[in-house]
Amino acid sequence: MTNPAEDVFGELIGQDAVVAQLRAAAADAPAARAGQPSTAMTHAWLITGPPGSGRSTAALALATALVCPTGGCGTCEECMLVRHSSHADVEHVIPEGVDYLRAEADALMHSAALAPTRSLWHVFVLEDADRLTEVVGNSMLKSIEEPTPGTVWILCAPSAQDVLPTIRSRCRHVTLATPSTTAVAAGLVSSLGVDPAMASFAARASQGHIGRARALATDEAARLRRQDVLRIPLQLGDLGSCLALAADLVETVNADAAAMCDPLDAREDAALRAVYGDGAQGKGLGTVERRAKGAFKDMQERHKRRRRRVVRDQLDRAIVDLIGFYRDVLVIQLGAHTELVNAEMRPQIERVASASQPPETLLRVDALERTRNLLAANVPALLAFESLTVTLKDPSLASSGAVRRDRVTG
Amino acid sequence: MKFRLERDVIADAVAWTARTLPTRPSMPMLAGLLIEATDQQLMLSSFDFEVSGRVLVNADVMEPGRVLVSGRLLADISRLLPAAPVTISVEGSRVEVTCGRSSFTLPTLPVDDYPSLPDMPGSSGTVPGSVFAHAVAQVAIAAGRDDTLPTLTGVRVEILDNTITLAATDRYRLAVREFPWTPANTSLDVQALVPARTLADTAKSLAGCDEVHLALAASGASDGLMGFEGDGRRTTTRLLDGEFPKYRALLPSESATTATVDTAALVEAVKRVSLVAERNTPVRLMFADGEVELRAGTGDEAQANESLECSVDGAAIEIAFNPQYLQDGLSALDDATTHLSFTTATRPAVLTGGSQASSPSYRYLLMPVRLSS
Ligand SMILES: [Zn+2]
Repeated sequence: MTNPAEDVFGELIGQDAVVAQLRAAAADAPAARAGQPSTAMTHAWLITGPPGSGRSTAALALATALVCPTGGCGTCEECMLVRHSSHADVEHVIPEGVDYLRAEADALMHSAALAPTRSLWHVFVLEDADRLTEVVGNSMLKSIEEPTPGTVWILCAPSAQDVLPTIRSRCRHVTLATPSTTAVAAGLVSSLGVDPAMASFAARASQGHIGRARALATDEAARLRRQDVLRIPLQLGDLGSCLALAADLVETVNADAAAMCDPLDAREDAALRAVYGDGAQGKGLGTVERRAKGAFKDMQERHKRRRRRVVRDQLDRAIVDLIGFYRDVLVIQLGAHTELVNAEMRPQIERVASASQPPETLLRVDALERTRNLLAANVPALLAFESLTVTLKDPSLASSGAVRRDRVTG
Repeated sequence: MKFRLERDVIADAVAWTARTLPTRPSMPMLAGLLIEATDQQLMLSSFDFEVSGRVLVNADVMEPGRVLVSGRLLADISRLLPAAPVTISVEGSRVEVTCGRSSFTLPTLPVDDYPSLPDMPGSSGTVPGSVFAHAVAQVAIAAGRDDTLPTLTGVRVEILDNTITLAATDRYRLAVREFPWTPANTSLDVQALVPARTLADTAKSLAGCDEVHLALAASGASDGLMGFEGDGRRTTTRLLDGEFPKYRALLPSESATTATVDTAALVEAVKRVSLVAERNTPVRLMFADGEVELRAGTGDEAQANESLECSVDGAAIEIAFNPQYLQDGLSALDDATTHLSFTTATRPAVLTGGSQASSPSYRYLLMPVRLSS
């Protein structure tokens, strides 16, 4: 038997109950495949949890455990193939667009009807199952409800409410908790060898988002960006300064997204060019662009969507950081004995706390939540943040709604 | 790596292997074509996790080796080669192709992560390539194309001792074909559901082989593949999983009316009649008194009459069909005369070849369209 501490489930942080459930499913899977009744194993899963809690890590761990002869050892050939995304029986699907496309669903229906070829199961991990619209999702219901005998669906979404009820009701629901600060810090120390004090800071500041904690613990630039964001509440002045702070933030985020996406785009572009024979020489050969026409177009679309997503994630992160700041302000204002997310900024937080009242702080948090919804509704980022900084400066404006409407429609 | 071979040999091998390259690969390297040179043999492979293709040809190998190159590019190059011996060699990270006065240079791709192709499944036997291709073409025409009903997109393959039965249905028609084969060992009883499009492409590409090996794992094994091999060309495809309809129960055991008609004449008549009618209008056939009368359309609007000589046995019957499905069946029969048998105007008709009326190896069952009047 595999040493549980080193198997594929070991990568999940602070999710002991879920890990036990998924391990039991994997252990029971061969018997279930042989037709014996099983309570632990089933053919459709929905894994939900807040961003950064490890949904896709959990889904891929279960997928690996189902195709590994020893339940997810993490080291055998099957496990390595899944890790390199080249296992014939594990398909990891990330929707390309804002929603799943009909063509993606049709291709999935075809693949899902195919038998496994090297394992007992043919596993489909679907990220962002909340992006299955009614028409597309319903075309997949039959396969999810009663898949071909060797097929397993593992769907991931932020919460069950976000998923079509028809799909949700056909899946076994597994909920990941927001991992505790202690668990995240311990995970950073053991997996990345981060200094305990840094690990503790990153775990706290990330508010349970593991990917974010990793970035804060290891990337100086990420820490500096976060500091810039948290300085916004301290620098809000006249209207001009509010608008300038919003512009600075959006500009920095766009630049960061470019810094992150440009090299990735370039690398993928080069790989695709190579595959279609860029640099080939000889009389009569067409250009690589012509050979790979469809593939280049697909890739460029993918790059655009990725960049949009990175920008949106970064903006969302800024909002989460600001919500954490005002939560700390409220903790001080109410005299609660709770650990501060931003303990290292206690003096500044106390200053903001004494200069305002709890109802104002709540209005500020509301404004942040509203900005989040505006971004989700694809309102241009600059407009949304201008409205935000102005409201953070004077939250009484928000109750009238005047600023928000003017800025958004103007 | 360095080897030499004839232009036609490499061009055919590349064309055959590139046939199954994915047009929108899920991973870029799957658009690659793997070249392996060993001991006077050259092997070309492609794989997209669903279908694998591998061809083995003799070559004058001066230096063995293994490289991955762009499949589309190699296919383009092999079409441009003049009729002369071809030399292919690897120089660093580039592949040089020289042929007469032409020369081409291709970049190589990282080969380490290229997935290994599946092995051929266990049990096997042989059938002449032309027989196999004809049988598959006759049946695949009736397979469904709707991926939301995946089991209907497959061809059911049943092997019982010396006989293979193929069946496919899209719910509107059912095609069943039996043919003998030579199993490597007797007392075989295996079934599989093979994606129809892949099966049809593969069978067609192996039609020229004297012998095609078919390989299917014994029932109960979990490798989920079917393999095909002839003249050094090998394809594996993933099988569809799931229940194929119990089609034998659909084949009527008796009939009230039978008719025999010249196939080509009926095909032409159906074409003409359905051409002048609106698209997708059913074609109505009235079998009685030594002739069949064709009309397109339903009710009083029916138009474009035409009559053909036809021997009719039993009660007169009027029945309507989707003209395309009827034509598909008539062409798939591949027989100078067509034998049709009916029970009622609302029950399926069965088309068989007139020359094998007593024990047909191919049956095409066609659901009638209900007439409104
Ligand atoms: Zn393993």
